Amino acid sequence: MGVTCVSQMPVAEGKSVQQTVELLTRKLEMLGAEKQGTFCVDCETYHTASSTLGSQGQAGKLMYVMHNSEYPLSCFALFENGPCLIADTNFDVLMVKLKGFFQSAKASKIETRGTRYQYCDFLVKVGTVTMGPSARGISVEVEYGPCVVPSDCWSLLLEFLQSFLGSHTPGAPAVFGNRHDAVYGPADTVVQYMELFNKIRKQQQVPVAGIR
Amino acid sequence: MSGVRAVRISIESACEKQVQEVGLDGTETYLQPLSMSQNLARLAQRIDFSQGSGSEEEEAAGPEGDAQDWAGAGSSADQDDEEGLVKFQPSLWPWDSVRNNLRSALTEMCVLYDVLSIVRDKKFMTLDPVSQDAVPPKQNPQTLQLISKKKSLAGAAQILLKGAERLTKSVTENQENKLQRDFNSELLRLRQHWKLRKVGDKILGDLSYRSAGSLFPHHGTFEVIKNTDIDLDKKIPEDYCPLDVQIPSDLEGSAYIKVSIQKQAPDIGDLGTVNLFKRPLPKSKPGSPHWQTKLEAAQNVLLCKEIFAQLSREAVQFKSQIPHIVVKNQIISQPFPSLQLSISLCHSSNDKKSQKSATEKQSPEDHLYVLEHNLHLLMREFHKQTLSSITMPHPASAPFGHKRMRLSGPQAFDKNEINSLQSSEGLLEKIIKQAKHIFLRSRTAATIDSLASRIEDPQIQAHWSNINDVYESSVKVLITSQGYEQICKWAWIAISFPLRTTFAASHVSWSIQLQLNIGVEQIRVVHRDGRVITLSHQEQELQDFLLSQMSQHQVHAVQQLAKVMGWQVLSFSNHVGLGPIESIGNASAITVASPNGDYAISVRNGPESGSKIMVQFPRNQCKDLPKSDVLQDSKWNHLRGPFREVQWNKMEGRNFVYKMELLMSALSPCLL
Repeated sequence: MGVTCVSQMPVAEGKSVQQTVELLTRKLEMLGAEKQGTFCVDCETYHTASSTLGSQGQAGKLMYVMHNSEYPLSCFALFENGPCLIADTNFDVLMVKLKGFFQSAKASKIETRGTRYQYCDFLVKVGTVTMGPSARGISVEVEYGPCVVPSDCWSLLLEFLQSFLGSHTPGAPAVFGNRHDAVYGPADTVVQYMELFNKIRKQQQVPVAGIR
Repeated sequence: MSGVRAVRISIESACEKQVQEVGLDGTETYLQPLSMSQNLARLAQRIDFSQGSGSEEEEAAGPEGDAQDWAGAGSSADQDDEEGLVKFQPSLWPWDSVRNNLRSALTEMCVLYDVLSIVRDKKFMTLDPVSQDAVPPKQNPQTLQLISKKKSLAGAAQILLKGAERLTKSVTENQENKLQRDFNSELLRLRQHWKLRKVGDKILGDLSYRSAGSLFPHHGTFEVIKNTDIDLDKKIPEDYCPLDVQIPSDLEGSAYIKVSIQKQAPDIGDLGTVNLFKRPLPKSKPGSPHWQTKLEAAQNVLLCKEIFAQLSREAVQFKSQIPHIVVKNQIISQPFPSLQLSISLCHSSNDKKSQKSATEKQSPEDHLYVLEHNLHLLMREFHKQTLSSITMPHPASAPFGHKRMRLSGPQAFDKNEINSLQSSEGLLEKIIKQAKHIFLRSRTAATIDSLASRIEDPQIQAHWSNINDVYESSVKVLITSQGYEQICKWAWIAISFPLRTTFAASHVSWSIQLQLNIGVEQIRVVHRDGRVITLSHQEQELQDFLLSQMSQHQVHAVQQLAKVMGWQVLSFSNHVGLGPIESIGNASAITVASPNGDYAISVRNGPESGSKIMVQFPRNQCKDLPKSDVLQDSKWNHLRGPFREVQWNKMEGRNFVYKMELLMSALSPCLL
């Protein structure tokens, strides 16, 4: 498990999502990365049932249950600004039993699928974010395997990202911000994905790259 | 009666009142006792006032008579006290009569007591029994005892006879239904060894390894049948067994797995036609019934089938550099080039037909029994893994598997970590590795032995370690010269009296020691001077290496000998760059000078070119030197001059070092 950076790639002007993904993958292959299969990260949203809210009428908290094919036997459950739980895959079954407390939000399943490339110590995953039948965006994840402390390798990651993302290179992810010297874990990756999905959900249409 | 102690008597009056009436609820109404005036009135009523004076006298006599009644008792009672008193006395108190009666009773008792005490003495009075009528002649007490004993014995005998009757009945029953009883006892014996269950009216058993952890889909069911084709009239044969087992048809006969290594690859047409070497059935224990041997053989066949199925499945599934060939009942793979490993399942049924045709027998020498045994063990280990203590006990909510696999979810293991947890080697891979190691080890031993028998001068000794692994063995190879194995360079032997300590001598031996670790594909050689060399599986490499070591040994021996003999080492090189190039290794050379400096010996030894020894003489001993004007002084003639080669094969001595020692001693003159 190394330091990972998840970012969104805006769709190129005049092109569809698929074509942009193809551009990216071609760039990567020219760089010398080798294809190593596919990956999938998906997210389901639940909100606390109204029966448990009490008389205060506060808004129910949203809980996200996510799976990452990189950790095939695990299931992640997290709140927006709260703790992230890493559990066994039996957690999904548990959620069915907790139907009374957590209700699935309608049409909330969002996922990203794509190919996985290995370039020496870097692991690059380019995926199409889909919500239902429609493709909403492109997610790019880069992992630098050898290092686990974000502050030590962020500059290297940034340089690598610049080499194939060009101008669309993101800034340092928020998860790095608080604890620069803490060890990076799989939960942080999943939090980044959650933020990405939320951002994409808020966008109504496929965003177009532009100089803004 | 004076002197008699007063006897205390307790008296209680009944004082019961007369019942007047009993009420309806049971209460009793008592008559009130007459009061004094009432009593008097009653008494007065009895007085007959009609009678005159006579009646007065009578009256007086009457009540007096009454009073006399009462007083009489009192007077007789208090006789000694009231002597001389008037006879008539009015009644003194109501207890008078009681007292009188008691008095008389006491008197009677005293009389009785006196009589009895006199009778006891038997002096003055005796008791005589009253003569009775003659009793009817009663029976002798002995006969009475006899009769009673007889009766009781008869009763006991009755009980015993009843019991004996029951026993004889059961014994006769036993003998009648002897066959029926035997079947059950045989069934009991069968149950002690095998699992049986009753299905309907059939008894089925299980001879598969499923309960021991196997996942083979064969059912492994056998049926127990009663042997009823027996004629009761004829004599029952010796080995008759009322129970018979019927095993599934595909498990009949005997099977074994043949693992063999062949040097040359056979023709393609020969594949799959492994001749079945009918191995003689393993001797069953003398006391075991025939069904036991039958069932054990069937179980063995099942296990062999499972092993072969697992091996062939792995051979097909897993990719390897050189693909394995699976043909009918044989798996062929090539662990090393030009080497072939074949694993075949030999299943011979018990038909009479095949017994006749199995006359041609392959030589069983190439069958590696060790690998077959290891295959069985590996299969059983695989069985145990499914039921191991790592998996049980486990939480109810977790699936079966390794304990660390349960952590893989909550700790977010990625694919590499998950793969490292799961054992990835299959049965086939393991057995191929073992076969490779066995082959490599046998070939190394053959190489060393052939060298040892071929070359005599430096001797090779191999000490094989007893404790080996399936994948690794080790051997220590020593190269020595005969007669010069050890020389103490410096030895301390100090015995101090108070403590008697002994310091051991430290040897510097002239041998070269090599530790060979034979692995699966490579041989690692650790030299005494610390070098580690990895040799491949080619036997030529090992041979060349050993030859080069032997040649180096000779030169090292000269160096050690020089130290002992007092000769000075002028130069020494393990790998000289001069002279003809060796094809195996490098030549080594040494130059030593005699103690007085007159002579020098130069030795060059190579693995291929052999040894070349030259001796340098002082100038004044060489006769054929050209005279020159360069040397002005004659002292220069004492320096060493030209070299002359020694004909080593004509030299005396049984080995190189011996010869060298003789040469050195010949060249150093005696000082005396």
